[in-house]
Amino acid sequence: MRTSKITALTAAVLFSVSLTACGSDDSTTSSDQPAAAPTMTSEAPMASAAPAMENFGSGCAAVPSDPSNKGSFQAMAQVPVATAASGNPLLSTLVSAVKQAGLVDSLNSADGITVFAPTNDAFKKIPAADLKKVLADKKMLTDILTYHVVPGKLTPADLSGAHKTLEGKDVSVMGSGEDFKVAGTASVICGNVQTANANVYIIDSVLMPKS
Amino acid sequence: MRNLLRDAAAGVLAAGLGIAVAELFAAATRPDAAPLIAVGGAIIDATPTAVKEFAVRELGSYDKPVLLASVGLVLALFAAVLGILGRRRRFLVAAGAVVLGAAGATAALTRPTASAFSPVPALLAATIAGATLWWLLRAADPLAGRVGGGADKTGNRRAFLRGAVLVAGAAVLTEAGAQLVTRTVRRVSTKLALPAPASPAKPASALAITPSADFYRVDTALTVPRIDPDTWELRVHGMVGTELRLSLDDLLRRPLIERDITLNCVSNEVGGPYIGTARWLGVPLAPLLHEAGLRPEADQIVARSVEGMTIGTPVATALDGRDTMLAVAMNGEPLRPEHGFPVRMLTPGLYGYAGACKWVTELELTTFAEFDAYWVKRGWARPGTVRTASRIDKPRPFARPAAGKVTVAGVAWAQRRGIAKVEVSVDGGAWRAAELLPVPSIDTWVQWRWTWNATAGPHSLAVRATDGTGQVQTEARATPFPSGATGRHTITVTVE
Repeated sequence: MRTSKITALTAAVLFSVSLTACGSDDSTTSSDQPAAAPTMTSEAPMASAAPAMENFGSGCAAVPSDPSNKGSFQAMAQVPVATAASGNPLLSTLVSAVKQAGLVDSLNSADGITVFAPTNDAFKKIPAADLKKVLADKKMLTDILTYHVVPGKLTPADLSGAHKTLEGKDVSVMGSGEDFKVAGTASVICGNVQTANANVYIIDSVLMPKS
Repeated sequence: MRNLLRDAAAGVLAAGLGIAVAELFAAATRPDAAPLIAVGGAIIDATPTAVKEFAVRELGSYDKPVLLASVGLVLALFAAVLGILGRRRRFLVAAGAVVLGAAGATAALTRPTASAFSPVPALLAATIAGATLWWLLRAADPLAGRVGGGADKTGNRRAFLRGAVLVAGAAVLTEAGAQLVTRTVRRVSTKLALPAPASPAKPASALAITPSADFYRVDTALTVPRIDPDTWELRVHGMVGTELRLSLDDLLRRPLIERDITLNCVSNEVGGPYIGTARWLGVPLAPLLHEAGLRPEADQIVARSVEGMTIGTPVATALDGRDTMLAVAMNGEPLRPEHGFPVRMLTPGLYGYAGACKWVTELELTTFAEFDAYWVKRGWARPGTVRTASRIDKPRPFARPAAGKVTVAGVAWAQRRGIAKVEVSVDGGAWRAAELLPVPSIDTWVQWRWTWNATAGPHSLAVRATDGTGQVQTEARATPFPSGATGRHTITVTVE
C-alpha cells in the first residue's frame, strides 16, 4: 500500500521532469514537420521516441548496438528506409537488389510503409542460379521486392492478418506478441525496426508472390 | 525492500525539486543555463561526427526530447541510488549533491554562451536536492523520532509520507511556474512591428510558397532560443575599420528588401523534404559590411547565434550582388522562434549550414584560413554551394494511377544559377521536356509539370534538371555528407 503510494509519487515527479524535457517544445511540434514532408508522418515522433525499446526478436542481437554505427537502431530511426537498410550489413543483398530494381528513391520518399526485409541468409536459401535470374529480370525483381512492402506503418499489434502489398497481391501474417510468420514460411527474426518513413520487420526467408 | 523503495523515492523527489527550482530560476533568467539543457547541449557537442552524420544533421526535433528525457532518467537513477546509500551514510548525500552540482555547473560553463552566471542554476539544484534529501531521510529515520526512543515506526512513515507529498507538490508547482514563465517570455518576444520594404518582392502568383508552420527545421538547438527583441544586439566586428553595434530598431530603420528565396538543408536525401521557399524581409548585408569598413583580407563572415552556433559564409557571397540579408520576417510575419527570431542570416545559393545562421547576434569578419565554423569542423564541405536538383512530388512513389493522361509534377532548384530545363524519362527512355511555371528570380525553386500518356503496368519515372549555366544535373549518386546529395530522383508507379 505505502509502496504503491511512494511509487506513484516517484512517477509524478519523474513525469514532471520529463515534462521539463519535452514540454517546452509543444508549440513548435507542428513546425518541426518539414515542408511537404511525405516521409515524416505524425507517427514519426512516436516512432523514433524509443526505438531501441520496441524491437523484438532473436535476430535483433545481430544489429550493431553502437549508436554511431550506421546499422544501429538509433541511426536507422533517423533516415528513410532504403538509406537505413544500406547502413545495415545484415541487409546488403536486399539493398543491392533494391538498387538493381531502381527502388531506392521510391522507398525513401514513400509516405509511410511497412517493409519485410529478408536478411542475406534468407537470400542464400535461394539457389544461386535462380537468384541470378531474378536479379537480371527487372520486372520479376520489382514484383518480388514490392511484394515485401505494405502501405502504412504496421505496428506489431496490427501485423497479424492479410495485407495488400504494393505488388498488388495480399500477404498473410500469422502470430502475435513477438512471434510472427509471414506468408507461412518466413519468421520475423527482428521486428518493429523504426526508420524515418517505415516500420521494418526483418525476416529469414524471401517472400514469393504466387503467380 | 519497502525501505529501499522509500529511500529511492526520497532521492528522486529531492532531485525533482532541485531541478524544478533550477528550471524556474533559469526560465526567468537564462534558459540555456537550465541544468538538463546544459548537460544535453554538452552531450551533443561531445558527440562524434559519425553520429552527427546520421543523427544530428537530422535534428528536426525528435532526438532532442529523447536526449533530454535520457539525461533526466540518468539523473533520477543516480538520485535513487543516492537516496538508498544516503540513509545509512548521510555524508554521501552531501557528496552526491556536490558531484551532481559540479557536473551540471561544468556542463553549463562549457556551453559556448557561458557566463559567470551559467553554473548558478545547477548549483542551486544540487543544494536544494541535497538539503531536501537530507530532510526526507531524516524524517524517515526511526532514530530521529520523538521523546522516548522513537520506536513508533508508523509515525515516522507518516512523517516521511507527509514530507514526500510536500516535496512532490512543491516540485510540480515550481515546474508549472517554470513552464508558465517560459511560455510568457516566448509570447512577448515574438512581437515586432514590420516596416514596409523599400524594395518589395516581384509579383509571383504562380510560385509555391511554403507556409512558415510547414517549413523544415534542422538545427542543433535543444531549446528554441527566446530572445528579447528590445535587448537584442548585432555586433559586426573582426577585420573591419569600425566595429558596429546595432539594435533591432537600428536594423529596422535601414531600407529593407523583400524577396522570395528557396532555402534547403545539405542533409536532404535525393527526393527528400528538407527544402522550402518563403517570402523573406530583411536588411541587405553588403551596405552594412561597407559601413563597417570591411578589410580586403577578410574572406569569411562567421555568423554567431545566441546559443553559440557558428556558420561560415564567404564574404564574396555578400558582395556579389545577390540578396544576402539579415532577415527579420518570413511570409509576412516576424520570424517564428524556431526559424531564428528576431534575426537570421540568409544567403541565396548556399545550403543553410553555410549561409543561414538563425538567432544571429554577431558577424565576425575573418578568413577561412583562420577559423572553421561548426559544421566545417565536423567534416562538412565549404563553401556549401547548393547542388542542382529536382524532385517528383506527383504521383507519389508506388501510386496506382489509371491509364491515360497522368500529370507528373514537382520542383527543381539551383539557386543563383536558375533552372533552364526540366526533363522526365519513363522507364529509362528518352528525356521529355516538362513545362516550367514562371519564377520571380533564379533564387527560387521552379515548379514543373509534364503530361504522361500512361500505359498499364509498372513504370519508373525519373527527373533531371539543367541549370542556367547549361549544366545537367548529375546522375552520379552521392550521400548528403559532406557536400549535398546528388542523383536523379526516380520513382516507381503501377498504372492500372
